[in-house]
Amino acid sequence: MTIPVISTQHCDLLIIGAGGAGLRCAAEILEKMPDARVVALTKVSHPQKSHTATAQGGLSAVDPRDPLDATIFHMFDTWKGSDCTADQNVVQKICESAWEQILWLENRGMHFSRDFQGRLSKRTFGGHTRNFGESSAYRAVFEADRTGKGIMDTAWGESLKRGITFVNQCLAVELLIRERQCFGGIVFKQKTGEFVRVLAKATVIASGGCGQVFKVTTNCRQNTGDGLALVLDAGLPVMDPEAVQFHPTGIVGAGILASETLRSVGGILRNRDLEPFMVNYAPKMRELAPRDLVARAIESEIREGRGILNPDHHTEHVWIDLRHLPDEVHAKQIPEVSSFFKRYVNLDPKRDLCPVRPSNHYHMGGIATNEFGEVEDAAHQSIRGLYAVGECAAASFHGFNRLGTNSILELITMGKITAERAMHHIQRAPVHFPDMAPERFHARFTRYREAVGKDSLGRIRDALRGLMTEKLSVFRSESGITAAMESLRELKGRADRTALSSRSWAMNPELVERWELDNLLAVSMVICQGALQRRESRGAHYRDDCPARKDEFNHHTLATMPVFGEVELGRREVDMSICNAGGAHHEKFAVIERKY
Amino acid sequence: MVSFYDITLKVRRFDPDSKSTWIQTYSLQAGRIMRFVDLFRRINSETDPTLAWGSSCEHGQCGTCSVKINGKPLLACELLVENAVAYFGTTTFTVEPLGVAPVVRDLVIDTEKAYERVDRVKPFIIDPRPPADGQEHAIHPAQLEHYVSATRCINCFCCASACISSHRNFLGPNAMLAAIVRVMDPREGEKGQRLKCLYSAQGIYRCHSSRACSFVCPKQIDVAHFIALAKAGRMTPQEE
Repeated sequence: MTIPVISTQHCDLLIIGAGGAGLRCAAEILEKMPDARVVALTKVSHPQKSHTATAQGGLSAVDPRDPLDATIFHMFDTWKGSDCTADQNVVQKICESAWEQILWLENRGMHFSRDFQGRLSKRTFGGHTRNFGESSAYRAVFEADRTGKGIMDTAWGESLKRGITFVNQCLAVELLIRERQCFGGIVFKQKTGEFVRVLAKATVIASGGCGQVFKVTTNCRQNTGDGLALVLDAGLPVMDPEAVQFHPTGIVGAGILASETLRSVGGILRNRDLEPFMVNYAPKMRELAPRDLVARAIESEIREGRGILNPDHHTEHVWIDLRHLPDEVHAKQIPEVSSFFKRYVNLDPKRDLCPVRPSNHYHMGGIATNEFGEVEDAAHQSIRGLYAVGECAAASFHGFNRLGTNSILELITMGKITAERAMHHIQRAPVHFPDMAPERFHARFTRYREAVGKDSLGRIRDALRGLMTEKLSVFRSESGITAAMESLRELKGRADRTALSSRSWAMNPELVERWELDNLLAVSMVICQGALQRRESRGAHYRDDCPARKDEFNHHTLATMPVFGEVELGRREVDMSICNAGGAHHEKFAVIERKY
Repeated sequence: MVSFYDITLKVRRFDPDSKSTWIQTYSLQAGRIMRFVDLFRRINSETDPTLAWGSSCEHGQCGTCSVKINGKPLLACELLVENAVAYFGTTTFTVEPLGVAPVVRDLVIDTEKAYERVDRVKPFIIDPRPPADGQEHAIHPAQLEHYVSATRCINCFCCASACISSHRNFLGPNAMLAAIVRVMDPREGEKGQRLKCLYSAQGIYRCHSSRACSFVCPKQIDVAHFIALAKAGRMTPQEE
């Protein structure tokens, strides 16, 4: 049976994923080109339901009028935090354009918190310092503890105002690329169960992260690495797949994020003996040390028998102590976060110790792009008309470890930068669309519908997520990774044999789950391969069997996987342009030790 | 203390292919602090992969998983089993989709249709006033205090579902809130259009002041308070 593509739609810009990055990009293009036809796809039921809306803490941006802080300090902190694997051209671009984006947001509806003198309130976050590590910097502006929601509402509102077309609850199932130029994609509309072709002069992938690869994650249910799987399917590389960040404090049970804000306002981590253990791991920064250090500190406490077992979830954890904080702080600074404990584990953070443990949080790796968000192939040649931005992309701003507050900053800055590039591309001579017959999605969906085996997709997914959490989270080793890859092959085999219970196309949750499972399997496999070949520890990637960083790995990983399990690895040099330019403080941007 | 509960879910289902509706019963054993989304997921994994339900963030920040449990609209990701048993005084729960838009399948409604009413009130600043210093558009915290809680709305449509006014004639509490918050926002230069919408035939005078919206709001927004302010014409801060 062939699967019909029922119609073809034309547009100037196709955005795959309508979160903060995708819609910041859309809003910019619609502001500058009011007649542009922009179509934004989202897998969720409405753009406002995107993962961006869950970001709590804030976004870092240096106010040029700030007498104490400077953009160069922000750039340095990002470089150092990345464990010297961020690209300096990208770091410079983003940090230098940060403040302008704060103003853009505030002038369009965001409600940044301000003090009673009317000045923007600032928070300090782990790894953000003044004077190259001298003291903590108050650099992050925020909207109470719902900064991401403010960004999401603003970007959505601005796009809506300027006439964007949203297509909700759909999947981008194939990119249409011919001779290194992208012409849009094939889209599956869940509500009607139809496949349509969307031809676009420019295509932006902004599909978010892949947190669902792990059992314990702060990510939305929808973050199944779809954009990464989409480019792998098209033969394009994912950069630094092994660079996965674990947030030190997920709430035990659902893995829900207990923001770094809890530690920045004075929350203390304690083990089963109630000892404040961070002083043993980071004597100076303690609770505010970078995330990977805090996550490993907690895991070490648990591994060494100083964790506490939660009977309901059979999960070991440590405590975060918020009991000493004034009521004012609970009420004004962390109302939503501290209410999470009440809501999801029935504890009152004003009176009770709260259970936390590391939870998958962010993927530094992603679709390989240059500093303008243009997608590159394994030979570093850009694919014309194809862009990637946000968590699904790696330019790379974060290298192997992201500093808190830098992710939503990347969304809005790179969203704009990419828009400028895409606009330029759209405005050039009208694109001739060659014969755009899809090539691969037929085979994939036919396979889903024709499988006859009896199994549970949910159980296969759970097995995958448990496996990745066990073998590829905070601590990794060669034997563990090899075993994980073997298991992934078995799980892929099981998935391919599993029949769907319903053959309906319209809003069939199992069909979507099946597609997502293939994406999770593909992303897991490249994470494993990347982690296996990187025989060192760097940022969030920590190898038990190779605990030191090594200069021979001062490069990015590029992984392509045209067929499941057949991963080809390449490398990309880290951009060191700030260091090489030899300007003031350039020596700070050499390969330096990451010690706090 | 009870360590687990024997739960019965009576789920209202709808199949778009055959256009049929029926109630399906699922029985399962659930730990104290499992959430209703965890129960739905377990049904998919263990007994029935065809049950369609919606969720995204699963921590009360997006409003995708709104359903009616024993008639009360709420977020399924926030309802712990032990709290549900205590609150409703039973271990049997009816689960239905919200009535604010057509059902696509089972518990999934056409959210786009529901949002059309929010889109009608223009959920953005229509005509931003230029910032006083040419750069920042500072809103003093004292001024923000008057409406900050309204900015927390996530459009989960629980209020619209609980509202006793007709969905056909009233744009709904969350749509009203989206308009009111922008009348109160000092950056909005276009107040006329907003007032016209609020006081239109589908606007706030359709509200019967039952306060059901405030009662069910998962974000604890006193929606009815804001509607009352609009009815009284007190959306700009009053001198004390």
